[in-house]
Amino acid sequence: MKDQATKVDPITLEVIRHGVVAIANQIDANITRTAFSPFIYEYKDYAVGLIDAQGRIVAQNTGGMPIFVADSVGMAAREGLRVYGADSMRHGDVILCNDPLVQGQHLNNVVMYTPVRIGERRERLIGFFAINMHWMDIGGSVPRSTDIFMEGLQLPTVKLWQEGRRNDDLYRLIARNSRFPTELLGDIEAQLAGCLLGRDLLADLADRYGVEDYEAAVDALLDQSEAASRARIAAMPAGEYTAHAMLDGDGESDTPLPITVRVRVHGSELTVDYSGLPPQVAGCINAGYFGGGLTTARVGFKYLMGSDEPANEGTFRPLKLILPPNTLLSGSPTAPIGNYNRSFPTVIDAVIRAFEHVLPQHVTGGHFGTFAVLRMQGRRLSGAHLDFIDGGYGGWGAGAGHDGSGPYRTMAHGDTRVVPIELQEALYPFMVEEFALRQDSGGAGEYRGGLGLLKSYRITEPLNIRVDFDRLRCPPWGVCGGKDAKSGWVTVHKSSGEVITLYKTKAHPVQPGDVICMEVGGGGGYGPPERRSRDLVSRDIARGYISKEAARSDYGFDG
Amino acid sequence: MPYAVAVDIGGTFTDLVAYDRDNRRLVCTKSPTTYEDFVKGIVDCFEKADVPLAATDLVNHGTTLVINALLQRKGARTALVTTKGFRDVLEIARANRPDPFDLHYSRDEPLIPRDLRFEIDERINARGEIVRALDPADVRALATTIQAAGVQAVAIFLINSYANSAPESELAQQLRILLPDVYITCSTELTREWYEYERSGTVAANAYVGPEVDAYLRRLRDDLGTHGFRGALNLMGSNGGLLSVERARRQPVALVESGPVGGCIGAAAFAKALGLPNVIAFDMGGTTAKCAHVAQGSYAVETTYYVGGYTRGFPIRSSVIDIVEVGSGGGSIARVDAQGRLSVGPQSAGSTPGPVCYGRGGTQPTITDANLVLGRLNPRNFLGGEIDLDEDGAMRALELLGASLSYTGSDGAATVADGVIAIATLVMADAIKQISVKQGLDPRDFVLFCYGGGGPLHASSLARELSIPEIIIPPEPGNFSAVGMLISDARLDFATTFVRALDDGAPDAIRATIAQLEQEAFQAMAKDYPIENVVFERFAEMRYVGQRHNIKIGIDPSADARGLDAAFCDEYRRRYGHADPGAKAEIQALHVSAIVCTEHLPLSSMSVHQVETPELAPRKIHFGRYQGWQMAACYWRGALPVGFNAAGPAVIEEYGSTTLVWPGDTFEIGALREIRIRLGASQI
Repeated sequence: MKDQATKVDPITLEVIRHGVVAIANQIDANITRTAFSPFIYEYKDYAVGLIDAQGRIVAQNTGGMPIFVADSVGMAAREGLRVYGADSMRHGDVILCNDPLVQGQHLNNVVMYTPVRIGERRERLIGFFAINMHWMDIGGSVPRSTDIFMEGLQLPTVKLWQEGRRNDDLYRLIARNSRFPTELLGDIEAQLAGCLLGRDLLADLADRYGVEDYEAAVDALLDQSEAASRARIAAMPAGEYTAHAMLDGDGESDTPLPITVRVRVHGSELTVDYSGLPPQVAGCINAGYFGGGLTTARVGFKYLMGSDEPANEGTFRPLKLILPPNTLLSGSPTAPIGNYNRSFPTVIDAVIRAFEHVLPQHVTGGHFGTFAVLRMQGRRLSGAHLDFIDGGYGGWGAGAGHDGSGPYRTMAHGDTRVVPIELQEALYPFMVEEFALRQDSGGAGEYRGGLGLLKSYRITEPLNIRVDFDRLRCPPWGVCGGKDAKSGWVTVHKSSGEVITLYKTKAHPVQPGDVICMEVGGGGGYGPPERRSRDLVSRDIARGYISKEAARSDYGFDG
Repeated sequence: MPYAVAVDIGGTFTDLVAYDRDNRRLVCTKSPTTYEDFVKGIVDCFEKADVPLAATDLVNHGTTLVINALLQRKGARTALVTTKGFRDVLEIARANRPDPFDLHYSRDEPLIPRDLRFEIDERINARGEIVRALDPADVRALATTIQAAGVQAVAIFLINSYANSAPESELAQQLRILLPDVYITCSTELTREWYEYERSGTVAANAYVGPEVDAYLRRLRDDLGTHGFRGALNLMGSNGGLLSVERARRQPVALVESGPVGGCIGAAAFAKALGLPNVIAFDMGGTTAKCAHVAQGSYAVETTYYVGGYTRGFPIRSSVIDIVEVGSGGGSIARVDAQGRLSVGPQSAGSTPGPVCYGRGGTQPTITDANLVLGRLNPRNFLGGEIDLDEDGAMRALELLGASLSYTGSDGAATVADGVIAIATLVMADAIKQISVKQGLDPRDFVLFCYGGGGPLHASSLARELSIPEIIIPPEPGNFSAVGMLISDARLDFATTFVRALDDGAPDAIRATIAQLEQEAFQAMAKDYPIENVVFERFAEMRYVGQRHNIKIGIDPSADARGLDAAFCDEYRRRYGHADPGAKAEIQALHVSAIVCTEHLPLSSMSVHQVETPELAPRKIHFGRYQGWQMAACYWRGALPVGFNAAGPAVIEEYGSTTLVWPGDTFEIGALREIRIRLGASQI
């Protein structure tokens, strides 16, 4: 620990630690309640962060989306420091950044931040209050884009407000570049209100305990998180471990994309080596170094570290990354990145898989690992425009001592709730015929993998569907002797009796009376199936989680 | 008849409060909760308090029966009957992971396992039209299957039944005929709001606890009758109103927070009587602290409640007073982790082994131990001297904790004890912020109303943290929940999903729907209570078009569209600091509450427990890091007359609770025998 860190007394430190997280959570609650777009209130597709004057992430809202928890805001503030310099970031400035060179995530992820200054003349910069929010539309033609210029408006560190004065020109520019300007401006209001309130709360906190104690406390809490991470790594057996996985394609071609992840545990440090990632692809599933490579490595790391440690700069200090340029997760500055997160569930899962023999008590079988998108588009009979995405929910892997869980969304998602069917049926032209656990979709094992979702829709108006599933060639794996799970797909049952299987498709027309059946993959099993308790096998049959046939073939069970 | 009685069965104690009308006095007693036989425990309490059941004409009863059965999964073997294709709604839930980085996350098992979830081929569409009608032959076959499954209860839930409840009612009626010995309940008897998972979870919970509650209430009435009771028996509903036994048997899920609401009702009654527009009701017990906002003498009621918490539990749609609960109580454990970080709770030493100072084998320091080390508790006068507190044990435990943070000796113990209280205060202050600051309310406009065993002890620290200028401690803070149950009205809530834009035609449609809800509520109330003085409250859940989260506002049904829009914008601005008068508002649901005023305990008659005044000497008490140890006057509450006033530092003791008055603060005994503390200028 640094000398400085010992200056603050332990109790003041606890009070400030509690204070910074409480502020982030208070702003989080405000945003959920005031936002306009479903990306915000339903997916919680945003993150709230406190950053110190050097650009280090100090605290974030708890329960945010995992891919944001890797620090989706700090690099924007660091870029601001580089562009403007600390002195030119004034009280009342509000800055926007979705720079692909900085964040490396799709342009919809826009970080808004404001400097926090205290003192009589606001002379002392103590940090930034930042919110990264998914803007519902920012122009562009994703997923048909082949470079960044086709993906919408770029905001490479620009001031939306300057010393408390609103930049109307920029507002007008943003509104003109969105297909849904009213809703977007509503969300921006929520983001702005959150930034300003958060800034004031943080300034109050620092004022109350004094800036010296506040800054010493920040150093100390980062150091403590670092020490906690190091202690956990040091307890792992040293060595190099490798895992392989595969994506079915980039959306443009069917060429498989093999993924190799190497992990090295050395002392109290952990290195994730992404040298084995495929090169940048033509489809828009690339991501930048920070928003892709570092983010997935940090998320995988955090899953292994457990959920009880806060995600701040200190937690991630012992994590090192090896990632050459121009790969899938370190795309060139102009790479298309509109669907930047499509590979994340598989890559994150592969990082965890690398620990199969190192931490057998902690790893789980692979999860279904794909965004499993079913999107319905078209013009309603009423004339209204329809664009509805129903993401797939699949099974998660089994672990030592428990069956797999789910269906949930992927490892890149968090507290993301399904949209109620009663709401869907009131809004969209279909009736749901089945919403069920998909029998036999989980991998067999001493502990069985979780089941995926089976959902079928009877269509009542003509429309087009798009499907984007993955992991057919590399089904969710079992670990420690457990078996693989089933992959997922979509079938269309035409009223003519014809059945069409869809997997990755850009637009497929469906007619009233057609039934779309979405079957999402399960999770991998854990441990050899022959070790599964016979009572649990017969319970699974009684509950219909597995069929009698599967009981016979997977478990040799005839009872 | 002289006596009106409230009985509150809690986790540790059963509390009885009786109002003796002839002598205008309260009789209070506590006895350990008898888990093996609750009814016997109640009858014993009457005997212990010397209140004859034959001389009692009213019993209001709060119970944790429902929440315990749900949390401990000790309910009936239950079946679900649902629309073909939807039996897994209950298990899939909303498919979210509230703890995102837990690789091993799973939600608690559903109340009804998959092999007891049966489907029937029928369908209602989103407009409420019947697409496929029930086939009586299917219903008969289903009844046979259910019979064979040997269940005690059946929950019925059909998709889209919120838009047309007739098929569910018909199915329930037929199954009640075919399965006369089975407890049968359907979702639309409990809630008419959309969202299939929430509605199915509600009816599953209702069925799951139905047989036990039904049997318990029948037995309770019979046994009380055997002892001569001929009066009215009411249950305390989670919505803050009383329910008849008949309704509680049909709708036991309405009792899910039956216990803690009593305190909120009491706080609301005091707020009204004292003319206080904004009150935070704060209750701190052994394992948790709870708070609620009371505005203009009434509390907010939420319509979704998570059984077992949001992270792993399940929601039910039932009216529950908006109470926020955190894991800070007297038994909360303080610890230091490997990185030297001090935390307090939510782990609790409970009542066994309890805090170190109870001398029952506890070794981990708790909030109670910290209070003892700081001189705030009187070791010889805890629970009226029933427990002798071990000061040395508490001191050793806190010295050990202090040493791990490099604070040494007894000074170190005091420093760390003060830190433990400071951290617990922050956690509790967060809970209060959730019901105030996060909803756009400024705590400086509030009065902090504290009860429960620990509330009066922590009131001043909390008020300082939140800049609340005034504190009120009611009489009998340790029995205050039961006291509140004697002040409660009968109340029923009805709600329906009502989706439409707030246009010029909306007010007529709102009036028609409200009238219909009022009619339903009136009829339901008329079955159980005299309805001359029924009062209705009306609410709308509204939002801007495009938003998802609704806010609930009180509405005047005679208002036009502009008036409703203004009411919505005002509330929105108050909560979030901004509103957009240009944006269009829409309505999502309408609510009606029917309230029948019943006889109330007169607050002025709350004479305090008459026991002998013990000898109390001034003692040294630690008042935080800035003021340290100070000699404080020590008072016995029962000896303080109305109008008495003094300045801190002081401590006021009574049976079951201790009130701390900080240096610079002043206190006075008010007209209702409440302690009123005004904070001095020093705020830290």
